Amino acid sequence: MRKIWLIVKREYLTRVRSKGFIFSTIGLPLFSVGIFGVSLFLATRATDHTLKISILDNLGGLSTQIAAGLKGNLPNGKPHYEIVKILDRPASEEDARKGLNDQIRAGQLDGFVEVPKGVLEGNDASFYTSNTGDFSTLGTLGKAVDNAVIERRLSDRGVHVDDLPKLVHGVDMTMVKVSKSGETEEKGQTFVVGFSVVMVLYITLVVYGVATMRSVVEEKTTRIVEILASSVKPVYLLAGKILGVAAVGFTQYLIWGTCGMLLSGYGSTMASAMRPGASLPNIHVPTSLLVYALIFFVVGYLLYASFYAALGAMVSSEEELQQVQMPVTILIVVAFILYPIVIRDANSTTSVIISMVPFFAPILMVLRIALQTPPFWQIALCLAISILTTLGVVQFSSKIYRVGILMYGKRPSVVELLKWLKYT
Amino acid sequence: MDAVVIDGVTKRFDSITAVQDLSLRVEQGAVFGLLGPNGAGKTTSLRMIMHILVPDEGTVQVMGQPASERTQDLIGYLPEERGLYRRMKVREALVFLAAIKGLSEAEAGRRVGEWLERLELSAWAEKKINDLSKGMQQKAQFIGAVVHRPSLLILDEPFAGLDPVNAAIIKDIMLELRDKGSTIILSTHRMEQVEMMCDAICLVNHGRSVLAGDLRAIKKSYGKNTLRMEYEGDEKFLERPELVEKVNRFGAVVEAKLRPGADPQEILKAAVAAGVRVSRFELVEPPLNDIFIEKVSEANA
Repeated sequence: MRKIWLIVKREYLTRVRSKGFIFSTIGLPLFSVGIFGVSLFLATRATDHTLKISILDNLGGLSTQIAAGLKGNLPNGKPHYEIVKILDRPASEEDARKGLNDQIRAGQLDGFVEVPKGVLEGNDASFYTSNTGDFSTLGTLGKAVDNAVIERRLSDRGVHVDDLPKLVHGVDMTMVKVSKSGETEEKGQTFVVGFSVVMVLYITLVVYGVATMRSVVEEKTTRIVEILASSVKPVYLLAGKILGVAAVGFTQYLIWGTCGMLLSGYGSTMASAMRPGASLPNIHVPTSLLVYALIFFVVGYLLYASFYAALGAMVSSEEELQQVQMPVTILIVVAFILYPIVIRDANSTTSVIISMVPFFAPILMVLRIALQTPPFWQIALCLAISILTTLGVVQFSSKIYRVGILMYGKRPSVVELLKWLKYT
Repeated sequence: MDAVVIDGVTKRFDSITAVQDLSLRVEQGAVFGLLGPNGAGKTTSLRMIMHILVPDEGTVQVMGQPASERTQDLIGYLPEERGLYRRMKVREALVFLAAIKGLSEAEAGRRVGEWLERLELSAWAEKKINDLSKGMQQKAQFIGAVVHRPSLLILDEPFAGLDPVNAAIIKDIMLELRDKGSTIILSTHRMEQVEMMCDAICLVNHGRSVLAGDLRAIKKSYGKNTLRMEYEGDEKFLERPELVEKVNRFGAVVEAKLRPGADPQEILKAAVAAGVRVSRFELVEPPLNDIFIEKVSEANA
């Protein structure tokens, strides 16, 4: 027992002190926040200068309405659009278009909107520009033209319109989640929580499973394992290693969790300070979900880590790892890519069945619990199946591990692996 | 009490019998050479002594007890292919190895410090193993094998890759440990090392013991049947098939194995007659190297 503790301690300390751990602990959240922040920044800052737009109105009489739809300022206070010129029913459409195109080429104009004569009958309007990647401008212009045309159609039919946007405003749907604890307005938080849980479990299972495998291979290629095996029972060695890596994982979660809580507290305080009354969608993670996620993570990690450890024991070099780890990694990836089925209908027969498969359960059953807590018997059954499978896999893996760590050279075939199981 | 007693041990892997009905005794306080060609079953035998493997048949005793988890802590092991945790610091890695052999961490730390001092590695104690030269890594690993004062020290090619200075340091430590009562099992292909250090040997081939016992007695049993010579001149005088069975040339030294009953005087006469200048002419017991080759090829024939 003391020896297991030594193995756990070594595994834990060398990992936690490594640059890789510090880097991933700090780096991963920064990276995801960074990606989010950068895309947010880029999205809002896409245009920081006033776009010079002209309007070529071949039908006539629409340009005022269109221009009215293009009001609004940039964050820096300048107007979003400047209407340089309005061409109302030009003598020659050709010449007008050519002239405007030349202006775009000369850089005097960012673009122009052309409204065809048949726009009321459904012909397409066009936006001529040198920057065709700017879809947000295209959307704004489209909406402005749209409103102008609708207004014209209505007034042609004798409806006088003062405030079009209010009249054509659609109806939004609110989703309300009904659960045992009551009704909560759904703003996507169930999806966010479910998806986060899936991501976290998926990444952890892969990252820490692979870490266990690499650790086994390191000891094997450096032959330390021979010294260790002459001091500790291989089963203890394996147990110590798996627990050590798991402890590293929990440490990382603890750090992330604590920082996350502090930051979100800070964030919502800041948000309400800046915009009183505005609140972030209230993301509430029920404690039961956390407990279940933890239980399934432990079982799933044991399952996959012991599998990965057996794989590590089968090869003699780092290079061979890539090939042998495929089958196990695919199992996790499949569990991950099946999640949309569960998200769409967490209690469909398909969802129930796939969430019961022990290799998928750590991800999919937890997702079901997050979305719509299934009947308790299903959770219990799933957990029972998972634990039994895990015990079997641990048994199997420790046998493979025990033999594999002492074998060098050619990778064993499946037949040889089966023979290993019988070695004493 | 013998340090190791292997009695009628057989170990199979599938169809391959790695060790077959092997019996051997290693006297306490001896330096024992476990010899044999590659794949003879040496590693498997050592692993059974260390209780990494369990024999299919027969028994293994270490220090009077059946090999078990308890006897494991009595053994220190230096594997042939070296390796320590590359990204760990030298001191840390060695303290870990000592602790896993049953020392408390405080005691382990103290002894590792002493050994690092002795092998002139103190300056490197806080460096990563990766930053050490190959020779220094070897010395560090040697510390890992001896730091817990094992009663039985198993060394697989302990001198491989060491320069003469470091090899001499390691050799002195080995003999010192033996004098303090440790038993040493030396597994090596370097027969001259065996001849210099070992009291007894066991030669295994195809998993069986083909030659075992006191090294001096074994050599004596072969008699002084080998001529060791140094000379200048034509070696034609050695072409006497009725007297000389085999000639081994080592550059400066030439060894000729005599046929039973051949008179070495005859050869000396022939050399003088041929005008060869003889500077060394010595009748010796056969080198272990020759005995090894003879025994192994005999068994393979």
